[in-house]
Amino acid sequence: MMLQAEKPVVTLKEHIVEIISDSGEGAQRCGQSLGSIAARMGNGIWTVEIIPAEIRPPARSVAGASGNRIRIGAGRITNGGDETDLVVAFNEQVLLGRVRDRELKPGCTILLENMWRSHKDPTVAASYKEAYDRLVAAGYKVHEVPMEKECLALVNDARRGKNMFALGMLCSIYSLDLALAREQIAITFGKKERSVIDANIRLLDAGHAWAEAHLDFKYRIPATRSTVPQIVVNGNTALALGVLASGMEICAMYPITPATSASHYLSDVFEKVGGIVHQAEDEIAACAFAIGASYAGKCAVTITSGPGYSLKQEGIGLAVMCEIPLVVINVQRGGPSTGQPTKAEQGDLLSAMFGSHGDAPKVVMAASTIEDCFYSVVTARKIAETFNMVVVVLTDAGLATSQQPFPRPQFSESWLAPPIDQTPVPEGTKPYDWDPATGLARRIVPGQPNGMHTITGLAHDRLSHVAYDPDANQEGLRMRSLKLATLQKSLKAPPVVGGDSGDLLVIGWGSTQGAIEESVATLRAEGLNVSSMHLRFLQPLPPGIKDAMQRFKTVMTIESNWGDSPQDEIIDENNRRYSALAMLLRARYLVDVDCWTEVRGQPIKPGSICRVIREKLKPGAKPVTKKLKAAKS
Amino acid sequence: MNTATECLLRLVEEHHELEDYQGGVPRWCTGCGDNAILAAVQRLCRDENLRPEKTVFVSGIGCSSRFPHYMRTYGFHGIHGRALPLAEGVKMSRPDLQVFVNTGDGDCCSIGAAHWIHALRYNMNMTLMLHDNQVYGLTKMQASPTSPKGTKTNTSPRGSYLDALNPLTVTLGVQNVSFVAQVVDWIPEVLFDVVRAAFHHKGFSFIRIIQRCPEWLPRMFEPVLHDTNRVLLLHHADGLQLSESLTRTYRKQLEHDPSDIHRAREIASGSDPIPVGILYRNPEVPCYEETRHAGQLTTPAHVRAALETELDKYTVWPQQA
Amino acid sequence: MNAELQTQIAFRLAGRKPAAGADDGGAGLRPALLARYRDLTALRYDFPLVLARGAPDKDYAQCLSGIVDDAVHRVAGDDGGERATRHLLRLEREIRVLLAGGARGTLTALWDDAAARLAGGDASLQDSLSRARKALKADGVLADCDESLPALLLKHAWGVVRERKTRRLGEDLRRLTIGLSNILQADAARSEAGRSAEGLKASIGAGHAEVFDFAAMSRLLGRSASRDGLPAGRRRRIESLLEVLQSQRFAPVPDEPQSQDRCYAFTFGSCAEALAAYRERLPKAVELARSIAVAELEVKGEYREAAHDALFADFGEGGLGQEALAGLPDYLICMPANALHGAETDRLMELLSAGLPVKVLVQTDDLLEESSIARDGHFALGTRAKQLASMAMGLNDVYVLQSSSSNLFQFRDRILAGMSYPGPALFSVYSGASGDGGGLSPYLLAAAAMESRAFPAYSYDPSAGPNWASRFDLEANTQVEADWPSQEFWYEDENHQRVRSAPAFTFVDFVACDARHARHYARVPRADWNDRMVPLDEHLRRSAAGAGEAVPYVMLVDAGNALQRAIVDEPLVRAALRCRESWHSLQELGGIHNSHAERLLAREAKARAEQPQRAVAPSASPAPAAEAAAPEVVAEEKKSADAPYIETPRCTSCNECTQINDKMFAYNENKQAYVADPDAGTYAQLVEAAESCQVSIIHPGKPRNPDEPGVAELMERAAAFA
Repeated sequence: MMLQAEKPVVTLKEHIVEIISDSGEGAQRCGQSLGSIAARMGNGIWTVEIIPAEIRPPARSVAGASGNRIRIGAGRITNGGDETDLVVAFNEQVLLGRVRDRELKPGCTILLENMWRSHKDPTVAASYKEAYDRLVAAGYKVHEVPMEKECLALVNDARRGKNMFALGMLCSIYSLDLALAREQIAITFGKKERSVIDANIRLLDAGHAWAEAHLDFKYRIPATRSTVPQIVVNGNTALALGVLASGMEICAMYPITPATSASHYLSDVFEKVGGIVHQAEDEIAACAFAIGASYAGKCAVTITSGPGYSLKQEGIGLAVMCEIPLVVINVQRGGPSTGQPTKAEQGDLLSAMFGSHGDAPKVVMAASTIEDCFYSVVTARKIAETFNMVVVVLTDAGLATSQQPFPRPQFSESWLAPPIDQTPVPEGTKPYDWDPATGLARRIVPGQPNGMHTITGLAHDRLSHVAYDPDANQEGLRMRSLKLATLQKSLKAPPVVGGDSGDLLVIGWGSTQGAIEESVATLRAEGLNVSSMHLRFLQPLPPGIKDAMQRFKTVMTIESNWGDSPQDEIIDENNRRYSALAMLLRARYLVDVDCWTEVRGQPIKPGSICRVIREKLKPGAKPVTKKLKAAKS
Repeated sequence: MNTATECLLRLVEEHHELEDYQGGVPRWCTGCGDNAILAAVQRLCRDENLRPEKTVFVSGIGCSSRFPHYMRTYGFHGIHGRALPLAEGVKMSRPDLQVFVNTGDGDCCSIGAAHWIHALRYNMNMTLMLHDNQVYGLTKMQASPTSPKGTKTNTSPRGSYLDALNPLTVTLGVQNVSFVAQVVDWIPEVLFDVVRAAFHHKGFSFIRIIQRCPEWLPRMFEPVLHDTNRVLLLHHADGLQLSESLTRTYRKQLEHDPSDIHRAREIASGSDPIPVGILYRNPEVPCYEETRHAGQLTTPAHVRAALETELDKYTVWPQQA
Repeated sequence: MNAELQTQIAFRLAGRKPAAGADDGGAGLRPALLARYRDLTALRYDFPLVLARGAPDKDYAQCLSGIVDDAVHRVAGDDGGERATRHLLRLEREIRVLLAGGARGTLTALWDDAAARLAGGDASLQDSLSRARKALKADGVLADCDESLPALLLKHAWGVVRERKTRRLGEDLRRLTIGLSNILQADAARSEAGRSAEGLKASIGAGHAEVFDFAAMSRLLGRSASRDGLPAGRRRRIESLLEVLQSQRFAPVPDEPQSQDRCYAFTFGSCAEALAAYRERLPKAVELARSIAVAELEVKGEYREAAHDALFADFGEGGLGQEALAGLPDYLICMPANALHGAETDRLMELLSAGLPVKVLVQTDDLLEESSIARDGHFALGTRAKQLASMAMGLNDVYVLQSSSSNLFQFRDRILAGMSYPGPALFSVYSGASGDGGGLSPYLLAAAAMESRAFPAYSYDPSAGPNWASRFDLEANTQVEADWPSQEFWYEDENHQRVRSAPAFTFVDFVACDARHARHYARVPRADWNDRMVPLDEHLRRSAAGAGEAVPYVMLVDAGNALQRAIVDEPLVRAALRCRESWHSLQELGGIHNSHAERLLAREAKARAEQPQRAVAPSASPAPAAEAAAPEVVAEEKKSADAPYIETPRCTSCNECTQINDKMFAYNENKQAYVADPDAGTYAQLVEAAESCQVSIIHPGKPRNPDEPGVAELMERAAAFA
């Protein structure tokens, strides 16, 4: 049916849009472009890649959904949000997959390619009709769109064109600036020749026109134009840019999902500044290579994910023992073992802290936003070289593939690693001349006259001689440990978001920050007295945590790693395994910290958090742990 | 080049004595072949006038790997099997350093085998000395991959079960191999000449040093030790030249052109008599560190430029309203 | 003798013109050999040249024909490029025409003009032209063989070398500057400021500024900070080095555009200017060279004041640092030969003999100018330039090249070699550009000068070897063995019969190219020819005696291309003789008809002739076949069986013996054992050591003390090691 041009424009605070297709149909690009256009108009955005587990899943398969999910908001958006409000699907099967995963909001709007209805293969046509009816029955607002047909009017291969047609529709639906969209296309296809760009712009316009003419709804999400330049990248790109900006010159790695894309990008840009990405023969070699490079020159970095991190543990222990600066980035994925390579989890916190044998104190940081991925690397390099320590930076598959605009960094040359010191050291300088209070010692690098010594993974004394006497071993362990305390003394207390005191303090770390703080805001608006605190340094823990906790009636962590649920019949105080951070906080501060976790491989949704907290603060909700409270009083 | 200035500079160069390269007192057993290797290497450092602070010895774990502690240079006594990746990292970040690797048959051919193979491929400019005593010494006598079949050890009380791995044939089978030699610790003259040749070779020099372990295998080498005809000296105009006294003691000699890899492989596969000398050398194989260092000098200006260019790609500029 | 002959002889001896017949002298006559060459634009030869930009060094100069042939090769269509060839040859000719018409510019520019002029309906022509244009590999200014060629070409060659030098220098400077500043930065990073709260804050990104208490961190770091900074002396030295490297004006530094504008100019029009500039810059140059050398040491951390301060104090003097100076650009002087009057000549010789880094082009445009002193028509023949060249060769370490401009393309490699030569170089070039060539192009005049030995081409390269044979090269001249080259040519005689003739092209033929000397010739009508007339070269070959009556002539052609005999007067003949003599001495230098060698050969031939019967003895007795087996005689002196000794070279430093008795056994400088003092221990110890030595190289000898307990038993055990 043809509509009158005038249709009501509904103003929204935010909306979550998804474009999904078989992989190779360009839904990714459509989503990224939509995100950039919205961002350039001044909307807050958060985009998440929807990646199938296989490289080339069969066409029209439920598990094969590939695409992009964009949360567009009037204000700043800090996380992927809850379920999808509107989805553009190139076939019904990928759509069913999303329904199965409970990613779609009940009754949400669906724009569905309808070429399948009249498909020559009767089974295809049948499954389409069947799915269509199911969705309609389930209450979804399904709009069939003749994308294929409309595109074929302009190009002879619709597979290559649909995504821009879809982009056009979305621009119409969300009243986005079409001129801006055309610019964006020009940028996206910048490397291609003009004809390609024009073709895509024609498709864009066609999609826009079609939506204007055939859809009976239209939204507007108010935007406030940002005054500063913003950059839009995903977490892994941010990491790579961070490595570049930190002045590190050698990155040793071994391919592993989901970390590798950081190295892909780095490989491309690093050599322009004399940097090197070394793809080693295995994770162990990558770690050792980085350690060797660090030992003889500037601090080096190795990037990996869980399984690779486990393999590096012995090497990390060596770096700790020899006090060689080293940055290790662990883009966490689902574990244990091979686990869920493409899915997000926060399961490596404890192995990051306590992984290698013996007492191997190292610094552990976690990036909580895309922007944080960038700055964490710069900070990590500085800490590593200042304290001669291993610094582990934890991110996860969620951050790795999500995009969120953040203010363009203002590069400063003092971020860079200083040149390798080759000046002579005074005769008789000890290689480990530990300061008894801080455990810090000057670092001597090969090439420095008078500094010759042999570092060793064996227990050693201040001369780096193999320690045969017990005191030397005792002293070495003490000094390496003191350095953590010294760093701890130079940290500030993390801020409490929300109220300074109250009924519940939620503590989180890493990628959950956006979701937690958004939930806290929502709940406070509902009148719940809840606040949150987010940790960047996990080892050492910054000061001020205990004070903060004591100002609240209850404390809980929200994490994406395993923790037993007290609801389980067999779980009680004596066998409940707490999530990683909860365990640490309980152990360190003797405070009864509860936890709620979810390990579904997807970023935790604000909705879920709100649900959990409402439940916890419901009047008469039974406190989780009477026994310990009793013990305290 | 030999310009006036260079000559004058050479005149005022610092010179070092053998003692200048001696670190801690070796804790090796009396009679251990490692002592001969240490002596040869310290002699090399003196004769080549290596700057102690510009020289790094990297090792793994095992008797052999205590080596760096006995040198007064920089040293990195690493972890079991990983000496090579550590050394590669050192060389990559500091091509100006002279890098040596000391490793054993367990360290290199067993736990570190993967790194050994790939080190040959990388062909970075360093010298590896495989102290091959054919047994695990530090852990008190277990069979190693190079123990001859039937060697009685604590893990093979009735004799080891497998044929020994031949490090030479393995090495000569790897792409990019550029220098392979074998020596025995009890012919110090050849040991020194080979170590020097390896040092001068640009690329990854692999020296297998057959080495006596008086502690665990005291009888293992006695026959070869006392029968000079069980050693085959390789010599060539482009290889080793043998001194007269040497040719008198070791009558079995073979002229072998180190550029001939096929012949090298044949020779390598023989173990009695033990081939001693340079089996293969190819100075043309590119060095990984040179391939990778594109020559771009790292300066803050370059980093800034590169970073800004990259940021530009992802920047969303505020709309001029 | 008849009248004609008398007048002819009179003309020859006194230059008195015959009344009739040859009245118009040699006017309008030119060498018969040159008859063919009227219009050069139709000819494919070495010129014009393209002074290529951005091409590989060795291709810095390419000839148009070569480029065109190459283009043909690239665009050759299915017809084997036959059409393309036709088209491109038309274009080439068109370009020559343009040049002849005075057009100048780059190859591509003239290519396009020419193409435009050829533009007709012919599409296929335009097609092959444009395709060829695309395929063009080289571009650069076109230089024809005229007055400007020598300077253009040499400047270009010099530029190529300079480019090479300054690139290397610039990169070194950049590398050293970075290295030096790194030393300072590394020090700053360890300094107070480096770990101040502000310093720490700056080193952390804005995103994390709120995470740290930088004041606290600074305090804590202070406790373990190393107190030793860079020694003041070294800091000062490094700073002043940086000052020098960054303010130098000899080479541009990569990615520093402003350093380009700063740079000195190095081309000059006279020795005076060049010398002045050189003197003024010398201190700067020495300072730079010294700074580079010192910086190299500093960057490697090898500079030791105790040793190096003194060494670098007198840098730049007494050969020290010369090679470093050689890294700086050379000075190029382009001057006309006639500017070489007294003072300037002295300066030039001073420049050359002082081995200064100068490359000098002395260009002679007129070889046949009348001498200013001798009024008797004595020929100067560019002697100044020629003498200069031979004087320069006399200096032994100057690279010398003499050539007509017509030959410069053939000499392009030698020119580059001369420019690259690490020392002074002199290029003496005759351009044939002025004088009264009567319509002959400079190219032909220059070529004629070279052919006629009036201006032979040769090079002298001191770096080519230790002796003249390797340094001096005359081969470029045609028929180098001969006095004069003779070219065969055909003409039609009065009976229209084709006649072959191969007259020598002599100095006199060359002079005939120049109308100013017409008076030295007299045309002799065929009627007056007689048997006393002899071709000039033959005349010169004859001994002076008996030549008196002869009348030397040369074959010339007139404007109508009719062949003429012109007789020549005595001054010109004498000049020709002088020319041949100097050619002979060049030949001797080049090892051709070398008088010493010939004398020697003669003597040997004679000697051999005297005893023909004796067989030649074999040069050497047959060498004995090399054997693997070692010689029986043992070189080293046999150790006495009584004294204990160790085969030290075979010692494996295993500590066995030294642990038994470290006074008796000691290590030598290679850490190999020897018997230091046989009396420092017992015979028992000697025997024990011998037994415990795994390589059995210890020989206990006989006991020093026969009363030692158990000696008998020990001796039995020792026997195994005798």
